Formats: sequence, structure tokens, C-alpha cells
Amino acid sequence: MSIIYILIPIAMLFVLIAVGVFFWAVRTEQFDDLDRQGASILFEEDTPATRGDAAASRTEPTDKP
Amino acid sequence: MTTISCFHCNEPVLTGNRFITRIDNVDQMMCCPGCQAVSQAIVDAGLLSYYKYRTEPGNRQTALVPDSLNHFSAYDLPEVQQDFVQGRDGREEVTLSIDGITCAACAWLIEHKLQKLEGIERIQVNSTTQRAFIRWKPGLVKLSDILSAIGSIGYSAAPFQLDDQEVVSKRNSRRFLLRLGLAGFATMQVMMFALALYAGYFTDLETEYRDYFRWVSMIFAAPVVFYSAQPFYFSAIRAILGGKLNMDVSVSIAICGAYIASCVATINGTGEVYFESVSMFTFFLLLGRYFEQNARQKASVSSSNLHKLVPLTASLVTENGIEEIPAKKLQVGNIILVSPGDVIAADGKIISGISGINESMLTGEQLPVSKAPGAEVFAGTINLEQPIKVEVTAIGQDQLVAEIIRLQEMASNAKPAIALTADKLARYFSATILTIAAITYVVWRQISPEDAFWVTLSVLVATCPCALALATPTAVTCATGLFTRLGIISRHGAVFEKLPRIKTVVFDKTGTLTCGNFSFGDIRLFDNIDKARALNLASALEQGSLHPIARLFARMPTSLEVQGQHHVVGLGVEGTIDGKHYRIGSAEYLNIAKDDMQSGQWVYLGDDTGLLAAFEIQDKLRDDARDTIKALKAKNIELQIASGDTSAHLQHVASTLGIDKVSGGLKPKGKLELVESLRRPDTLVAMFGDGINDAPVLAGADLSVAMGSGSAIAKNSADLILLGDHLHRFVEAMNIACKTNRIIRQNLAWALGYNLLILPLAVTGHVVPYIAAIGMSASSLIVVGNSLRLLRLKP
Repeated sequence: MSIIYILIPIAMLFVLIAVGVFFWAVRTEQFDDLDRQGASILFEEDTPATRGDAAASRTEPTDKP
Repeated sequence: MTTISCFHCNEPVLTGNRFITRIDNVDQMMCCPGCQAVSQAIVDAGLLSYYKYRTEPGNRQTALVPDSLNHFSAYDLPEVQQDFVQGRDGREEVTLSIDGITCAACAWLIEHKLQKLEGIERIQVNSTTQRAFIRWKPGLVKLSDILSAIGSIGYSAAPFQLDDQEVVSKRNSRRFLLRLGLAGFATMQVMMFALALYAGYFTDLETEYRDYFRWVSMIFAAPVVFYSAQPFYFSAIRAILGGKLNMDVSVSIAICGAYIASCVATINGTGEVYFESVSMFTFFLLLGRYFEQNARQKASVSSSNLHKLVPLTASLVTENGIEEIPAKKLQVGNIILVSPGDVIAADGKIISGISGINESMLTGEQLPVSKAPGAEVFAGTINLEQPIKVEVTAIGQDQLVAEIIRLQEMASNAKPAIALTADKLARYFSATILTIAAITYVVWRQISPEDAFWVTLSVLVATCPCALALATPTAVTCATGLFTRLGIISRHGAVFEKLPRIKTVVFDKTGTLTCGNFSFGDIRLFDNIDKARALNLASALEQGSLHPIARLFARMPTSLEVQGQHHVVGLGVEGTIDGKHYRIGSAEYLNIAKDDMQSGQWVYLGDDTGLLAAFEIQDKLRDDARDTIKALKAKNIELQIASGDTSAHLQHVASTLGIDKVSGGLKPKGKLELVESLRRPDTLVAMFGDGINDAPVLAGADLSVAMGSGSAIAKNSADLILLGDHLHRFVEAMNIACKTNRIIRQNLAWALGYNLLILPLAVTGHVVPYIAAIGMSASSLIVVGNSLRLLRLKP
């Protein structure tokens, strides 16, 4: 049981690191735009090859009155 | 007949297949030349991913007229740039507000379009705040090029005036997030040790380990109490200094008291510790505050975005010719030359030239007003027909526009504040809790003095106002999200309390109930001419004119050449086509007796032999105006129209919609007085408007709604902004607000109920730390879960 005297301080250290990372993330504006970065993986960097189904597979907008 | 939707903006295509863009080898129909130009630009730039991955339709491009793409040159003047461009080690930086960003695909599209420009070093588009940060090399690319590149793919970008509120609000939001995150991390850790301690209640935990866990919890809870909970202390101190009570007073007493007492217990190895309650308490309360802060931040961002900086330039007439200067450098007595299509830069008097001036921003009337030398013209109005020379008579704060803005400020200060249910409740709640805690302490002093402090502390901790503090912000945050999905920006949380209480709605006419631009009504033909030929002739004659009615004709495609085109201000145009002489214009211009036609506005086309065609021009009602009025009537809401217009069209609109109370010819002040006269203590008045002339009344109404296409000043003083100008969304907003209110009431009832339940237990000394912690989290989670039900509503 006395092992906790070592383990808990180590856990505290980890929490400290996590808090540090969180503070860094907030300060460098990582949380400022959450919608944009999630979609960036979808976009190609250059002109995509011509595909006929691009128009068909377009998501229907949810803007139905 | 099925209507095809425009591939770019999803509006119905009413123009047949006139506008087509070839996208991925498929011809896609577009609704207007604007959408066609934009989609073509996107295709040409090889940015097809936009169409593939967008989640929202693009912006309708009617506002985009091809020749509007060259008006950015004023942004290159150094005097104009000094307000918003920062130079840094040989680079220029600017943050632009961009209208029309609907999803991440838009942000990607803009970034990629601009990266292709030479000289752009960095471009970062934020789709949440709808802004772009751009850094460029001044020698290679000009700001006007950047703005027109963004314009060419269908977004409008402009520098904006950063709200003072926004700077503060952004700093606050960030601080709140830091405090919240820290409290979250610490609470998780403290809770782990607390579980071990709870286990210690039921089994035997050795004192050595118990104390060790307590010490560790104390260390983890310290930053929460000393850093995260700061806002509550400040707010409590402010309230006490102001001689008031608020929720934060009892919260601060509970946090400090519980932490200090727990520290004492830890050091002495006796009593109870409440570290986990303190941390969780702070975490939940901060969560509520963070939601509120976020909503406020969003509102301040959108209001900054609405405050566009449009550089007004003026052509100053000097001895050596014409000099282009920024409007703010004008002096009284300067002579300026205003070309057709330009905005008049200052209030003044015409000294030469006759022209039609579009004063819709002041009066709401679209039809140009003819003005001759000696007539007054006002800053912000648009010269339409002929060049005029104007002597400046007022600048800055003495101008009519500044007058209207002052009226707006006065109106918003005079607006009666609405006390929010939650705030009222908090005050009573706080007072009650503090009283009960005091009584408990006094009574327990008599019964058993050594327990008195602990029992009082448990009263303060157990009757945690967490659920109460979360009740309103969570519901309002969910509802705001729903509004955003509907295309409604709500500028503050009070909107949800006001909406269901509205008994009277007043509408402006032009640009609100109607579209605010002209379209053809009836077309009558004489003399065996067919419609296509008549429109073709009319369009040819009207090419090059800036008169709004002429623009309507000129938009039609024409294949004819005109010789000897001659404009007569305020009357019409004549010219020769294929050797024949034609005229188009008012009845007076073609010498026709006016009463040939019924009411309405008519434009006549004739040749030397007589009349060929007559076109009725009307400002069309918005498509959803009828349904909206019907739905509002069904809710027993009294409807009125207040307009600056005096024409017969006003009566026509009112009778079409079935609104009987109509006031016409109102100046901004008159509208404000009308709304103030309607206001009763228990009936709230809502006002719809779009122009600068509506700004004061929007500021003064209990709840104001501005159209997304309206002027920036109007949007600045509105509580709700309808993006996309769908009137019917307002009815949906009312329904959502009713449901939101119901949810808020349920939340408050639950929170109070829980407190009533736990209070007897606490007073009698039965609340040990784990009961307090369980009750606290359960009640808060129930409130949050209840608010989340709002998101299941299908807008």
C-alpha cells in the first residue's frame, strides 16, 4: 500500500502536464474555430480529378423552411 | 411544374436555363448571373471540393453586380488604411469580416482562392467568427485586389470596426475557458480521492492513508479555489459594496468556508472534508457562466462584423483639378464632385447639376428624388443620374446620419429594462439561504456548540445553487444554437423571455414586407409588338443608367445597338435603334394622359407614332410575408405597418396582407413615437425594420428584428437578425422561445425542488459530504439533460 506514496505524486505530475498542455492550447487559439479544422481532411490540396458523381453526392442542405 | 433549385444557392431557378455553369462535365442551372459568375470562378480556380463537401448552400448572389467589383480602390488610400491595416516588418496585416461564410467549405474555398494570388503570405479563415486574417507583401498585391478576389467567388469582405465590447469579451471567454478547464481537471482528481474517502466511511480506512488522501485533495482543490473561483468572489464583493445580494454572495461564502474548514480538518486530522464538493461546485457554476459568456462573445463578434468600415471618398474640386480624398478630411465649404453611382460623402447643397438622388437609406423610399441646384443632399445617399457639384455644409457629428444615430442611442437608453426571472429568483434565493444558514447556526449553538459550524457549512454546501445557475444559460445556449441553424442571430439571452410576451408587431414596409427592389408586374402591349421585342428595345435604351427602374430593364439581355442615347433627368431616355427613334420613361415624358392606367407605377415605351408598351413596376412582397402575417394573426398578435412611404403602394400592401393599421410618411422620430405610444407595461412591442431610418425605432422597441440585408446601423440596434430575410423564421423563433421558456421554468422548478428536499436534511445535520456531492451532480445533470431536449426540436 505504501507504493501510493510514489504513484500519487507521479499522477499529480501527469495532471500538471495535462493542465499545462490545455493552457497552451487555449492560449494559442486552438479552440477558436472548431468547425473548420474537422472538415479540412476532406479537401484535396489541388484540383480533383473529374468525377461525374460529385454533384450527385452533394449533401442536401438542411435549410428547409 | 417542378422548380429546379440553383446549384449554387439552392433558391428556385426562375430564369429557365439562361445561366449555366459546367461543373464536372454536368451543366448546372443557376438562378442569376451572380451565382453563375461565382460558380464559374470557383470552377476556373479548380476549387471543386467546395461543392463536394459543403454542408450549406452558398449565398444568393443577386447583390453582386459585375460593375460593383471595382469599387474597392478606395481601400488602397493610405489615410483609409491607417484605421485597420497594421504594418509589421515590411508586411501588411489585416483582419477582414467576410459575409456569406456558411460552413467549413467556404473557409477552405476562400483560403485556396487567395493563396493563388501572388504576394499573399498567410491567410487564415475562421468559419466560426466569419473572419479572415491576411498578411501580404505590399509591393506585390493591393488590398483592393484581395477584396475583389474574395468578391469574385461570391463573398463580400470588408474591414470592420472592432467593438470595444468584443476585445473585453474575448479576453473574458479565454479566461473562463482556462478556469473551467483547470476546475475540470482538478475536480476529476479530487473526486478519485474522494471515492476512496467515501469507501472509508463504510470500511476501515487507516487514518494514515485517510490523512494522506485528504492532503492530496487539498493540494488539488487549491488552484480551483484560488484561481478558478475568482469571478464569484469579485462579483460577490461588488454586490455587497452596492448594498445588494446576489447568488455569488452565498456561493463565495460556501466555497471559502468549506475550503478553509476542510483545510483545518485536514491539518488537525478531525471532522469532515468537502474538497470534492467545493471543486465540483466551482466546476458546475463555471460551466453555466462559460455558456453565458460564450453566447455574449458570439453576439459581440457578430455585432463587430456588422460594423463594416466602408471608406467614403470624395472627389474634391481644387484649383488644379479633381483630387480624391477620404471623406473624413473634408471641410465645411469644400466643393465636391459626385459622379453618378457614387455615395455623397457629406451633407451639403447642390451648386450645379440636376440629378435623381436615392435617399432610401433615410426614408425607405426606393424611388429617386429629383434635386436641382440649391437643394440639400445628405451624406450616405446615392447620386444616380448626372454628375453634380456639392458644397459641403456639415461634416461629422453635424450630419443627418449622425443625428439619426444619436436618436438611436437615446432610444436605446430610454428602453425599459426587462428583469429576467432567473435574476429575480437568485436574489430571493440567496437571501433565503443566508437567513436559514444563520438561523441554523444560532439554533445549533444551543443544541451542541461543537457541531454548529459543521452543520451550517453543510447547509451552505448542500443547498448548492449549481442547478439554479445552470437552469437558464444551458437552455438559452441550446436555443441560440437552434436559432443559428434557422439563420437567426440572437444578440442577447433576454430575447427568449421577451418573444412569447409580444402582443404587437410593427412592420416597416420597404425592404421588410417587400423585397426592396423593383420587379415587373403587369406588361401591356400595343401596336402589334411582342413582349420580347418590347423588352429588348427597353433594355437597349436603358443601358448605362443607374436609376433603379432603368437597372431593372438593363438587366435583361439585349441584342440591339442604340445611337444618340439621351437621358432626361427624372423623366426618361430617348435614342435611335435601327434608324427608328424611341423613347422610354414616365407618362409625362411620352405625353400620355396619366389616367389611362390604374394605380401603380408605370413606365412607357413609345416611338414617333405612339405608344408601344407599358410596364408596371412594383416592389414585390416577400414570398413568405402572407404566411407570416397569417401565422402571427393566429397567435392573436396585433399588427401594424409604419413606413416612410406615402404612395398608394403602401395601402395596396396593407390590404393585400390584411393589416388595417397603417401609418405612412413617418420620419425616424415619428416611427419611434408610434412604437412608444403602443408600449404598455404588460404588452411588449416588436418592430421589424431594415434601413438606417429604422435604427432609432429598432433601438427603442422592446424587441427588434432586422433583416439580414438591412443596413449595418439597423442591425446594430436589433435584438434578432434574420439572415436570408425569411420573415417566416420569426414565427418559428417565437415557437422555439415558448418551448425554451417552458424548459427554463422546468429547470428552475427542479432546482428549487431539490433544494427544498435537501434543506431539512442539511439543517438537521444529516448531510455528509458524499450526499452533498451526489445531490449536486445529479441535480445539475438533470438540468443540463433537460435543456438538451431543446436540440431535438426540428426547426
